[in-house]
This record gives sequence, structure tokens and C-alpha cells, in this order.
Amino acid sequence: MDVSQYLEIFLDESKEHLQNLNTQILELEKDSENMDTINEIFRAAHSLKGMAGTMGYKRMQNLTHDMENVFSEVRNNNIKVNSEIIDVVFQCLDALDEYISNIQSSADEGENENTAIIERLNAILNGKSGGGEAPKEEAAAAEEAPKAEAPEAAAKAPSVNLKLAEEQVHVLSEAMKQGKKIYFFDVKVQDSCILKAARAFLVFKAVEELGEIAVSDPSAQDIEDERFDTNFTLVIISDADLDKIQTAITSVSEIEKAEGKLLSEADLTGGTAEAAEAEAEAPAEEAPKETKSAATTAPAPAKAAAPAKDEKKAGKPVVNRTVRVDIEKLDVLMNLVSELIIAKNSLVSAAGQDHSQTSSFNEQIEYLESVTTNLHESVMKVRMVPIESVVNKFPRMIRDLSKKLDKKMELYMSGEETELDRTVVDEIGDPLMHLLRNSADHGLESAEVRKQRGKPEVGSIFLDAYQDGNNVVIEVRDDGNGIDVEAVKNKAIERGTITVEQAATMSDKEIIDLLFLPSFSTAKQITDVSGRGVGLDVVKSKIESLSGEVEVKSKLGEGSTWTIRLPLTLAIIQALMVCIGDEKYAISLGSIQTIEDVKASEIKYVQAKEVINLRGVVIPLIRLSEVLDAPTNKTKDDDMVVVIVKKGDKLAGLVVDELIGQQEIVIKSLGKYINKCKVISGATILGDGEVALIVDANACF
Amino acid sequence: MDELMTTNDRVQYIVIKVGGEQYGIDIKYIDNIVRMQHITRVPKVQSYLKGVINLRGEVIPVMSIRGKMGYEEVENTKDTRIIIIKLEQHGTVGVIVDEVKEVVTLSEDDVEHFTYDAKQEEKNMYLQGVGKYNEQLISLLELNAVLSEKDL
Repeated sequence: MDVSQYLEIFLDESKEHLQNLNTQILELEKDSENMDTINEIFRAAHSLKGMAGTMGYKRMQNLTHDMENVFSEVRNNNIKVNSEIIDVVFQCLDALDEYISNIQSSADEGENENTAIIERLNAILNGKSGGGEAPKEEAAAAEEAPKAEAPEAAAKAPSVNLKLAEEQVHVLSEAMKQGKKIYFFDVKVQDSCILKAARAFLVFKAVEELGEIAVSDPSAQDIEDERFDTNFTLVIISDADLDKIQTAITSVSEIEKAEGKLLSEADLTGGTAEAAEAEAEAPAEEAPKETKSAATTAPAPAKAAAPAKDEKKAGKPVVNRTVRVDIEKLDVLMNLVSELIIAKNSLVSAAGQDHSQTSSFNEQIEYLESVTTNLHESVMKVRMVPIESVVNKFPRMIRDLSKKLDKKMELYMSGEETELDRTVVDEIGDPLMHLLRNSADHGLESAEVRKQRGKPEVGSIFLDAYQDGNNVVIEVRDDGNGIDVEAVKNKAIERGTITVEQAATMSDKEIIDLLFLPSFSTAKQITDVSGRGVGLDVVKSKIESLSGEVEVKSKLGEGSTWTIRLPLTLAIIQALMVCIGDEKYAISLGSIQTIEDVKASEIKYVQAKEVINLRGVVIPLIRLSEVLDAPTNKTKDDDMVVVIVKKGDKLAGLVVDELIGQQEIVIKSLGKYINKCKVISGATILGDGEVALIVDANACF
Repeated sequence: MDELMTTNDRVQYIVIKVGGEQYGIDIKYIDNIVRMQHITRVPKVQSYLKGVINLRGEVIPVMSIRGKMGYEEVENTKDTRIIIIKLEQHGTVGVIVDEVKEVVTLSEDDVEHFTYDAKQEEKNMYLQGVGKYNEQLISLLELNAVLSEKDL
């Protein structure tokens, strides 16, 4: 079977399983007796093994297999979970992660056998049995699997609902006469399984190695086309034992259960002989009667089968109503929406120039406007994904850091469901990881110091995400030492970043902001966690490349809070259009606080810089015509239009010539050829086809 | 097969005029030729970068070949064109030229390639060689050099 078409699903699913394993094992570390967690781990490991096997990734399968064995023993209470096991399992997960990334980049799992981990896993297994017998892998598989599945299967023998045509009965009876055994199997695929047909195919393949499939319901063709619910039944002619077949079936991953039964001659001819058992399982009202009469009068057993099947269908949970879409397709859609908005803008501006049209024309334009805005919003929402996928890996990371740094710490997360544009979510992982490492390494004190300071021994790191207007805010907070402003100051002077005189006049906040300069690390010793001097400046530039901003607040002895603020979307924004001379510029509405008319006489000077006093707040003035080298029509004595913009809690007033109005604009990149200008973050195409530049208010500060 | 051979060592060039001289641009890099249109100035960039234009919904940077090659800037005329060039390294860039004359086909024999030493000379920096066509000389532009960044 060609499996390459399933590669993407395989990657997606195995990542999900790995993430799940990571989370569950962290759980297990806290509560080593929790049976639910152990079961969940076992299930995830089992599925992962099956998937790797199906796709032909032998090394990955072997490793997962050994891990699964360990958990199988844990589940049977033969091994107690201890920190050693947890460590090995985490190593194992890392190795699996490596396999998966190899597969992702080259469709090949790589050469690393990870024998060391496998040996340690086996050592754990042998440790419990006491003896030196190393379980042969394949043999172990055969043994563990039934042990795990058997109790379930044994609890309920399947009710045999056979629909046999006469010639089939004949074939089966013939086989029986030749001394072969006839089995009936009811196989259930997990509800969550995506590749039901592929799983069924594997079951068929497994069974055919041991015997012959005489009948399947639904038919083999239907199963191949995935025209079945979650169950299918098989009648198998074989020499092998019931257990052996059952093992073969259940070792296919994502098979929830396989209930098997040896059929007698009576079963073949009389349909359901075991009325009692059927009664237990069949729907309450009609089925028992049916089956009973079936047993006595032996008519076609098809009737009994039908209601039982319907019942199961009704009880099936609603399928998750989602589709996986390639992000590139969404990009195309988003581009088309952008084009549409530009076309709409042209129409609006054309309508504005022509005064002869009727009011119904205007109405239609307004209608079009509202449709395009809604369309844009919907497309944007489709592109939104929860940040969960990124932050999920952090608890594990903090756990590892905690061991590595020998500090006690706990990560508390909230708002994982907060949604951001997919492109932003993909990029945000590294900066967040950096901040968390930073908090763990520099922020939190060692347990002894914390005790002396009267803090709880275990340090806390918080990761909170929430939506705030058109932005998403992500906060990384710790209750550690906070930033030592003096230390930063001294370091900066030592490095020559600032002079002693400058240092004296700088506020604490300004000094803390020095941390974001390239090559600035205050860690007294370089660890491999952080402190290589390539830290916060990278975080800052990454966040800024996403049109976001990062800020830090800190109190010495009490901890620090890093706040990242990101726009919900990158492609289309609401902007204020302004004029400077003949040139038009756009300023993102998100960064604008207010717009003020200011008289020239109100300008004051602080350190020879122009400021205004706006309702008690002193705000520096920035003349955009100077920043942008744009010729202005105004003189210094004219009254000014000032756009007050904010960056964090700093304000600045941008002086413009005139306001044009608010407009929805599509952001286009200037491309890599023109990228020297820091104040310009992009360009947009106006309704009349002209290009207007977008002023990055953040870069003006 | 013969045909393939001939197309292989015959290259088509678009002949442009800048400051009275003729230059040739390999046609395979040319995406489009458009008339002069409104260019939006971008502040704080090299002087030869004139700004950006809207080319069917895409924002494309535009440079002046006069500015880059050290010619004096002139007023645009009705003959002024923007040649849209696509290069892997620089993306899509518009190049302003005085005039677009014609398309010529030069075979390998008609082209004299510059040696490394010749390229060291300032005036040859942007050229890959000289082509002879109907008793005229056409300087063939090395586009990567023409588009490369240079602080002026």
C-alpha cells in the first residue's frame, strides 16, 4: 500500500500524540498512581507505535514499542513509576521528536537507533521481572498486547449477527468439515480514527496472514471506500487460535477492540445461538424478541442484525466538524480578499468624484463595503489558531529547566485558547521560550535564597494570554528577583553602552530598556540556558517584525513582568490617512490615541526639543515632514494637526499637514530591495491606484 | 536538435538608451515594460532608488539606472520607460531608462565578454560584455551588479 499520501496526517497526528504524551507524563510525575493518566499514556504510545509501523518507520516503531512495554507493565502494576522512568521516557520522547522532524524534512526517519534509550527502557522492564531475560521485541509485542486488551475483550463476548448467503454457509461448513476453525470477529475502530479504511486494510492484512476471510460486513469494497461506521465484522477460516487472531487484529493501531468467537455448526445454520448474550447487548425492546425467535425458528438472521447496528449508529458521537486546510490556500484566499478590498476602495473613491449618480448607487456601494468588511473578518477568523499549539510545550521545558538549574519552579498558564493569526503563532514560540528561560534562569532565585526572603520555596512563572481590543497580549511573569537596575547600569557603563553622566539622568525604565540592546546579558555566569548575549534583542526584533511590541516591568525582589502585545492580523488594518505636502501616508489606527489641534504658541521646549502639554501630560512632538524628508505646505507658525500615538505607555505627537480620513488598507511589503527606511513599515494601494506608505508610529519614538 | 543548439547560443536582448549610449538587457530577466507613471517617493533610501509604483496591485520598487551608473538625472520624456526586471536575488524591481529601442538577437560570436581585469574599471563595473549588431556596439548589462546595493 502506498502510504505517502498519509504522510502529512501521520506527521500531524504523531505530533499530537507526542504533545499529549509530554503533557500526560508531566501529570504522571505529579501523581504517579493516577490510572487514567497511565492508560492515556499507554493508548497514545500504542497509537504512535502503530502509526510509525504503518508508515514503515521501523526505528521509531521499535523505540515507541519499548516505551509502550514499560507502560504496559506500569499499567499492570508490575512497575512503579519513579523519577528514573520519567527521565528515560522524556528522553525517549525527545528522540521520537527527532525522528518526526527528520521525517518532516526528508520523509526519512534518520539513522539514529537510539539504542541507549532502548537499553535503559529494557533495563527498567527487566528490573521488575528480576531475571536476566531480555524480552525479545517481537515476542514481547505479542505478549503485551493481549494482556492489555484481553480483559476488555473477555468481559463481553460478541453477539454473533451473521448475514450469510447460502453458498457462504456451504463454504464455511465445508471448511469446518476439513477441521478448520471458523471465527466471528467484531472489530471496532476508534471514533477518532481518520484513516479508517487504512486501518481496516491493515486488519485484513494481519488476518490474511493467519487464515482466510470468508465474509466481511460491510463488503471489502465498501470498507476500502470507507463506507462503514466504526465497526465491521469478519468471518475467518483459520487453523490458528482465537487469541492469536485477536492479537493480530488488536496490534493494528487505532483499533479499539476486536471481539472474537469460535463458531459452531449451529451458529452457521441457526444464526444466533446465544440468545442470552445477544440480549445483553442488543437494543432493549425489539432485538431480544427477534433473536429469540431466530433461535427457535432459525430464519434468516439478518433481521436481528439490523436493529443492533442502527442502535450503534445513533449512539455515535457527533464528528468534529473541521477541515484541515493548507495555509497556502488561505494565503491565496486572503490575497484575493485584499484585491477585492482595493477594488472596493477604488469604487468608493470613483463614486466620490462623480456627483451625478443616484442614491441607490451609493447604497449599493455601502452594501458592498459592509460585505467586503465581513468577508475580510471571516477570512481572518479562519486563519486564527489558538496559541495552545505553541505554549503546550512549555510545561515540559520548565520541568527540564528546573532539573538543569536545580531550582524549584512551577509554570502556570492561562488563556491558551487565545487566538492569533497562524503566521504569528508560528513565529511567537521562540521569543516566548526565550522569555521563559530568562525568567527561570535570571529571574527566579535558588530555593535557599527564596526561603531567606520569606518566599515560597517553589518559584512561580506565569504565562497569561488574553485579547485586548485589536491586540493580543501575552504576559510572562515571575515572582523572582526582578531586574537589578544598578547591576544593569554598571554593566552598561562597563560595556561603554552609556556614559556615567548619561546613567545618572536615566530613569529606571530607560535602564531596563537597555536590556533589549544587542549583546547585553547580565547573567554573572554563562549557562547553556541563557546568558549568551543573544537574547532579548532577538526577542525584541522578532516581536517587532510581527508588528508587535515588548515591554518589561520589574520590581527588585518581587519579580518581573514581560508584556508582548501583538496585532490580531497582519494583512489588513484600519488606518488613518494623512497628508504631508502632496504626499499621503497611512498610520495604523491601533497605535493612535487621539488627534489634537494644537496652536503654534502652545509648543514648549524641553532640552531644545519641541513638546506640548496636553491635559497635564508632556508629549514630545515629532514633525513627520522632517522624519520623512517630505516638503510641507505649512510653516512653523501655522496651527498644527497632531496625531497622538502611543507605544507601551509612552506617547508622542506626530505633526501632519492634514487629515484625510479613516480607511481600511491592505498592507503590502516594500520588498527586500527597499528596506533601509525604518519609519516606513510597508505600503498600501489607494483607491485611485496610487501607492501610499505606511508610517510605523513605533519607530518614531 | 539543431534548433535547440541555435537558440542556446543566440540570446535576445532588449536595447535601451541611457544618456545617448546603447545598453542591452537579456530578455529572460524582463517581466514587463511599462510607461512612466506616478512614483511614490520612499524617504531615507539611496538616491538612485526613486520609490515604489503600483504594478497591477503589487508594490514594486523603482530605481533609476542614470542615478546608479553615475549619469546626470534628467526630466522624464514621453519615451521614458520602466523596465520591470525579475531577479532571484533582488525580487522584482523596476528600472527607469530613457528609451526602449528594439529587440536584437546576438549569437555568442557577436559578443565580446569582459575579462575580470576589464571589470575592475569603473565604467565597466555594470557590464558583462559588448555586443556587435549591424555595425553598432551594444553594452550588455550585468543586472546583478546594476541592482546591487550601493551607498551614494
